[in-house]
Amino acid sequence: MRFRADWNGPKRFFPLLLGFLCGVLSCFSSEDAPTIPESIAGVSDTQIMVGASLALTGHASYLGTQSLQGAMSYIRHINELGGIYGRSITVIAHDDGYDPSRCLANTQRLIIQDKVFTLFCYVGTPTTLKIIPVITEARIPVVGMLTGADALRSPVNRYLINVRASYYQETGAAVGHMVGDLGIDKIAVFYQYDAYGFDGLRGTELALKQYGLVPVAKGTYIRGTLAVEKAMASIADSGAEAVVMIGTYDLCANFITLAKHRGYAPLFYCVSFVGADELARRLGADGDGVIVSQVVPPPRQPPDASPLWGIAEYTALLSKYYPESLPNFVGMEGYLNARVLVEGLRRAGRNLDREGFIDAIESIQHYDAGTGTPLNFGPADHQGFDRVYFTRIENGKFELITDWRGIPRKAGSMETPFQALNDEKSGMNGSVQANKP
Amino acid sequence: MDLFRQISLKNKIFFSTLAVILLLSIVIALLARWSLVSSLTDGLKQQGLGIAYAVAENCRRHILTENIPELTSLMFDARQGEESLLIAYVFVVDKENRVLAHSMVTALPNQLPAANPIAAESFYSIKALKIHAATVYDIAVPVKEGIYRIGTVHVGLQKSHIDALIGRLRTTFLGFIAGITILFFWISHLLAKQVTRPILQLVRVADEISRGNPDIAPDTDCPIRPRFAGDEVIQLANSFTNMTARLKHTEAEIRRSEDKYRSLFNSGPNPIFVLDKETLKILDANPNAEEFYGYSKSELRDMVFSQLGTFDHDRINQMAHGDTAGPIDCVVMEKERHINKENRWFFVKLKACPARYRDREVIIVAATDITEFIEQEAHLVQASKMTTLGEMSAGVAHELNQPLNAIRMGSDYLKMMVSENRPIPDSDLKELAEAMCAQVDRASRIINHLRNFGRKPDLAQHPVRFKEPIESVLAIIGQQLSLQNIEVQLALEDSLPPILANRNHLEQIFFNLISNARDAIIQSRATTPAARSGVIRIGSFRENDSAVLTVTDNGTGIPEDIRDRIFEPFFTTKDVGKGMGLGLSIIYGLVRDHGGRIDIESETGSHTTFKLSFPLMVRQ
Repeated sequence: MRFRADWNGPKRFFPLLLGFLCGVLSCFSSEDAPTIPESIAGVSDTQIMVGASLALTGHASYLGTQSLQGAMSYIRHINELGGIYGRSITVIAHDDGYDPSRCLANTQRLIIQDKVFTLFCYVGTPTTLKIIPVITEARIPVVGMLTGADALRSPVNRYLINVRASYYQETGAAVGHMVGDLGIDKIAVFYQYDAYGFDGLRGTELALKQYGLVPVAKGTYIRGTLAVEKAMASIADSGAEAVVMIGTYDLCANFITLAKHRGYAPLFYCVSFVGADELARRLGADGDGVIVSQVVPPPRQPPDASPLWGIAEYTALLSKYYPESLPNFVGMEGYLNARVLVEGLRRAGRNLDREGFIDAIESIQHYDAGTGTPLNFGPADHQGFDRVYFTRIENGKFELITDWRGIPRKAGSMETPFQALNDEKSGMNGSVQANKP
Repeated sequence: MDLFRQISLKNKIFFSTLAVILLLSIVIALLARWSLVSSLTDGLKQQGLGIAYAVAENCRRHILTENIPELTSLMFDARQGEESLLIAYVFVVDKENRVLAHSMVTALPNQLPAANPIAAESFYSIKALKIHAATVYDIAVPVKEGIYRIGTVHVGLQKSHIDALIGRLRTTFLGFIAGITILFFWISHLLAKQVTRPILQLVRVADEISRGNPDIAPDTDCPIRPRFAGDEVIQLANSFTNMTARLKHTEAEIRRSEDKYRSLFNSGPNPIFVLDKETLKILDANPNAEEFYGYSKSELRDMVFSQLGTFDHDRINQMAHGDTAGPIDCVVMEKERHINKENRWFFVKLKACPARYRDREVIIVAATDITEFIEQEAHLVQASKMTTLGEMSAGVAHELNQPLNAIRMGSDYLKMMVSENRPIPDSDLKELAEAMCAQVDRASRIINHLRNFGRKPDLAQHPVRFKEPIESVLAIIGQQLSLQNIEVQLALEDSLPPILANRNHLEQIFFNLISNARDAIIQSRATTPAARSGVIRIGSFRENDSAVLTVTDNGTGIPEDIRDRIFEPFFTTKDVGKGMGLGLSIIYGLVRDHGGRIDIESETGSHTTFKLSFPLMVRQ
């Protein structure tokens, strides 16, 4: 038997084997996902259909109605000017009563039956959070939401376009002022027991953590109820020097009133969603000293004209289309939402489709909306404004806080330790810039 | 099949292991996949069913309160998280199959609500439906208030998702098989190599040895002791080592033996040839052969042995092709005439033996130069002849006396007649002259015979009949015999064909035999004084292919104990001085030269017969 040299057979066979296996494996490449047809629903030659589901009735109806009015003021104004490329914007608004389920059903209806082009001007955290799956699946954008919830901003969802600053930014700035400027370290949180309240609570706790602090007490209430006694009691008992309130105007007003009756007079601070004007109206004299953070500059009541032309326009248009309503923060938000909507539609051009519309909005940069702060969007930035303003109810009116050291530590008190220094109400430009968290 | 045999053992082990493993892997994978796929599909359906049941539970309240938004919320909630990939849709219908809420972002296909009805007795229904070119497993579950249905919940499972999962499973399995294959590829390659490496090592060593390199031994450092090669290989290696040692030993022995015989071959005093058995070509010759025959070894190697001289081919062929099982018979050729390079011829005695020489069947021929011996033999023959001649002289004298006397008488008669002046009649004169001439002739003949006898003979052989040499001999010795009262009886067959012989030699042979016969008769007379008349009978006849001559005497006979010795040179029963004892030995040689034989038949005190057989001449 002659010995045959090894012909490298196994070595030659190896790549062949690999190739065979690769070929087999490639047969199992994933199938193509079914494509959803690119939607130009809601766009006709004459109309652009826009849908909104918001609280028009119920305990948050102020928020819904006022923001819608602010938005509609501007939209009607644009329509009167000829619309956008000859198309007028039609807003279909459904009432969801601040109920997430109703909001979801409304949104489904807006997409499937009403066939709107885009969604617009939603109100509330739990409601808006509920529709994230449906709008993402349907690939329909939502422009302008009256909520500062973190979940809508992070991670960036292509179809969610926020205009206003977030609750994290609001609470963060507030805590910073309270602890840094006022020297308050015993801070309690009063929050609505839902996504909105949790969001605000988280923001506050994150901000406090930066100073090595924790809330000294937490009180909560169920959305839709008015029972705040327990919460108030536990907060009062804790001896908190300031209460961060993440709630709506009715509940917060209740709380503040109850606290005043008890003689508990900490610094009250509410986030913007509270509905500052309504809160002030309900509190009356009890409202003095209450600090509310805002995400828009305070609108001036006529005949006071605001030096910010955006405010001035809103005020003017509101009085034109909704003369019975007074300018307010919530309405201002709605107005600004409409500004973004219209600017996006304009930039998207004549051949309108949803993706192009979103791209158009993302292209808005350093845009002056007349609020003293530019609007900035981008593919990774789906929040137009980063600015937080602080206002304080004084004599039933909201005054912008320009110098925190002049703020009295106790509510209702006009005495400030630094009264002497607080001799000047500075211009509108003096407002607190909050950094994005 | 040749191809299969040609594949090395290593590759055989390797490929067969690989094939078995592959086959097993594929079978296992197929089985596992089949069972896993079905359980996966079932599991997913169960999952869908579970979701449907959960949704149905939660729907009940809202169906009863006709709370569409809550139902919608439930629909969407059911599709949250990981389920969103698996679940295509969830929808709930009332008992009239009118859609109450659904989780899609497009309009629900019209045929969908009623597409999968639940049979009356069943708790659920699962059916594959086709929606927008994709296949969906619709799971329908009833919503009951009490025992009556108030609605149905449908959960649609994406078949593509299930397929993707199955695909992933398949890929995993294939990857597994691939991994196993590669692993076993490598392992079996290693294994095969490990098993065959010691074998290859041994093969290499064996090759070296067969190439004739005796110094290679299996490398004891080589891993013939791998952990998993087992004892069989070690045994093989050990046996191999033993065999190699044995081989080396044997080879050394052979070499020693070869050296021994080579030196014998080379130094042998006689020329030794090695011939090819069939062709009788000279394969080898020792230095003496070269010296003796005058050819160089290379010249010799080109020659056939018969070129060197005479050779008994028949007997050699017989020996060569005879029965090799029996004892090896060597052929002895007593007298062959060979010729050397200078064309000088000489006589050699050859002994040819069959042998095995380096794996060939050969004939080894040893030559002994007997030229001198032959010459001496010739001299002896001549000397003997001279002796015989001497012996014969007395007889010759007697023989010559007669004619001389007769001539004397005649011449005396003439002298007397002339001196007495008597006239001689013419007739008497003529008669006397004729008688005297005849006697002269007779005397001449006797002298001629003598002269012929004494002459050194030529060695040529001719066709000769027995008759003539015998008559010649009797002409010389006949008278003597009759004087000694010995009768010669001839019984010669005339028609006997001639034999190829030397006439002179034959005469010598016959003379010697007749002389011995005479001596035997005379000796018998000495011992048995009764003067018996001696008879020498000479006969010739044909016996098969031989011509036979017999010489019988009624002399003393030859005792049995010396019968073998009488042909010995210098052996004689005669007294010292009376003969040299060469006669019969020379006769023996001469007869043998003619290819004949001598047989003796004798009875002591009675008779002796010498029987000579000569081969008849073969007619060409």
